[in-house]
Amino acid sequence: MSEATSQAQSPPEDVIDGEEVPTELDTVNNSGGFSVIRPEKLSLLYPSVNLHGHDVGVVQANHPAPSKRLLYYFEIYVKNVGAKVGKLIVMDIMAIGDDGRLYRGHAKGEAFGPTYTTGDTVGGGINYSAQEFFFTKNGAVVGTVFKEVKGPLFPTVAVHSQNEEVTVNFGKDPFVFDIKAYEEEQRAKDHSKLDNISIQQDASYRIVRCYLQHYGYEDTLKLFNIAAQTNLSPASDDRLNDQYSTYALNERRNLLQLIRSGKIDDTFSMLGQLYPHVVQDGTSAICFLLHCQKFIELVRDAKLEDAILYGRTEFQKFKNLSGVDELVKDCAALLAYGDPSKSSVGYLLQDSQGELVADAVNAAILHTNSRVKDARLCMHSSLERLIRQVTACYLEKSSLEWDQGEAFQLRRMVESGKKG
Amino acid sequence: MSLFWVVIRQTAQRHYMAKKLVTMVDWEKKLNDVKVRREDMNKLVMNFLVTEGYVDAAEKFQIESGTEPDIDLATITDRMMVKKAIQDGNVEDAIEKVNDLNPEILDTNPQLFFHLQQQRLIELIRNGKVEEALEFAQEELTPRGEENQGFLEELERTVALLAFEDAANSPVSDLLDMSQRFKTASEVNAAILTSQSHEKDPKLPSLLKLLILVQNQLDEKAIYPRINNFPTATLEERTV
Repeated sequence: MSEATSQAQSPPEDVIDGEEVPTELDTVNNSGGFSVIRPEKLSLLYPSVNLHGHDVGVVQANHPAPSKRLLYYFEIYVKNVGAKVGKLIVMDIMAIGDDGRLYRGHAKGEAFGPTYTTGDTVGGGINYSAQEFFFTKNGAVVGTVFKEVKGPLFPTVAVHSQNEEVTVNFGKDPFVFDIKAYEEEQRAKDHSKLDNISIQQDASYRIVRCYLQHYGYEDTLKLFNIAAQTNLSPASDDRLNDQYSTYALNERRNLLQLIRSGKIDDTFSMLGQLYPHVVQDGTSAICFLLHCQKFIELVRDAKLEDAILYGRTEFQKFKNLSGVDELVKDCAALLAYGDPSKSSVGYLLQDSQGELVADAVNAAILHTNSRVKDARLCMHSSLERLIRQVTACYLEKSSLEWDQGEAFQLRRMVESGKKG
Repeated sequence: MSLFWVVIRQTAQRHYMAKKLVTMVDWEKKLNDVKVRREDMNKLVMNFLVTEGYVDAAEKFQIESGTEPDIDLATITDRMMVKKAIQDGNVEDAIEKVNDLNPEILDTNPQLFFHLQQQRLIELIRNGKVEEALEFAQEELTPRGEENQGFLEELERTVALLAFEDAANSPVSDLLDMSQRFKTASEVNAAILTSQSHEKDPKLPSLLKLLILVQNQLDEKAIYPRINNFPTATLEERTV
């Protein structure tokens, strides 16, 4: 679940994707003395005969449920239901008693679901998409309740009858309930909300075409135009768009192919011929990126001595450019490894680095288009702008809704639907 | 008159003040903070090319961008040939090709199979082969219709084509349209994709719909630059 990007040390167990998650019962803040938490902090026992209706042993988890996700879930295993009926509070103010009744913060309770006893596994969860609590018993959902509370919610366990003992599972062990399947169900429900939304007929085609133009995929574009012509209706703002994206298409394509195949010297000379001002300032960021790429290519070809020589000559020119130190350090680090691709700086040898350089050159050339009034339009294709907008909108919406719910992740959309 | 405008402006302002205002400058900062990977965008485009069946473009894109198609390109050609056969009216040929690809597709999809048989019937009627059409309808389609009320109704509609002198101007003329062929072809396309464990719809339109949905939802709580024209994807500043 957590994307471990830092090489330094793995993140603490109780933080996932930047949010704290419950990992154990809180031994510090619990209701005085009526219950006993076992040393591993995942079991709760009610030892004495209860004196009073109010002598409930209530214990919360060490952290509130994380909210920046689709669902949160945890389970309670009833090791021993005890002498008589008690309450098992599972989600802060919501409680499912082992008599099967739903208690919302007061003693009476309403008929809700089946009863629980020794050996049963009860689960409680929050569905942020549907804004509801859901409860399970032995792997099946027994009911859902609308969630009005917006603030942080602590998974809570309570015991009340003599010898009642429960064990809590915050995810360390597999759940009895198939939470992944439930999550998929919710995702599918959310996805089907899109069915009634209509979009402009040829929007997708025009966006793909713009993308191919923007990144100089000229050959693909030609074939795409032929194949898609029945689906594309001529539109007036296409011509405007085309002016931007097809500008210098052939030249860009050639340059980008050179960079992608590692021919940096040829790139420099072609740029010098066609767009001299892009490279004429030898200390520009573009030049820096290209020189780094040349260095990387030399390392890739195992010409380490040439690389060192090249680096010494070129890198010092960029001393005054801000932000270069990291990249220079990482490039230099490549020299230290027999097999640099497996090292922490191995990312430099991947296609993504070459793409980065190609994109920078691409943007620089598009920028020379005198017809473009807004430089920002050169930077990104319309597809990229749309993706940024969707992501930013979801983040903004979440921040206005008490930080609940999943962020939009293109990666998840792209990877979805893959079976096997 | 001026009082009228004062009231309008106050009401509008009160309405707007309940929402958070995000300026263009601030919004652009948020947009710039978003990390977008080229790899993912390439995959989205490849997925589009593949699902639409643009084999040649997909092959070229694989070469030019280094993106791996999420499905074997050879299977696209087969799928496109089935589609073409139906669009040309050669339904028997299409059925044979589908079975060659995967015999389970038609076995597990009675509705699809019925629609293909129905299309066969339509083509027989279109070509004036009345005797053959009637025989085919009675032997192949009526038994299916008896199992399923929906099928029976569609069968009756189709056979009705024979009853009209000028079928093209009858109440059931839509069945003779090219659009009917496209409908059947689409259904087959989707079934083949599903059988290949591939989603039958490209993902890009979902992304666009998601954007419409989230902007509408966000509109209730905030005023911020929207994107209304998707192909140009330009931000439109809101003037209060």
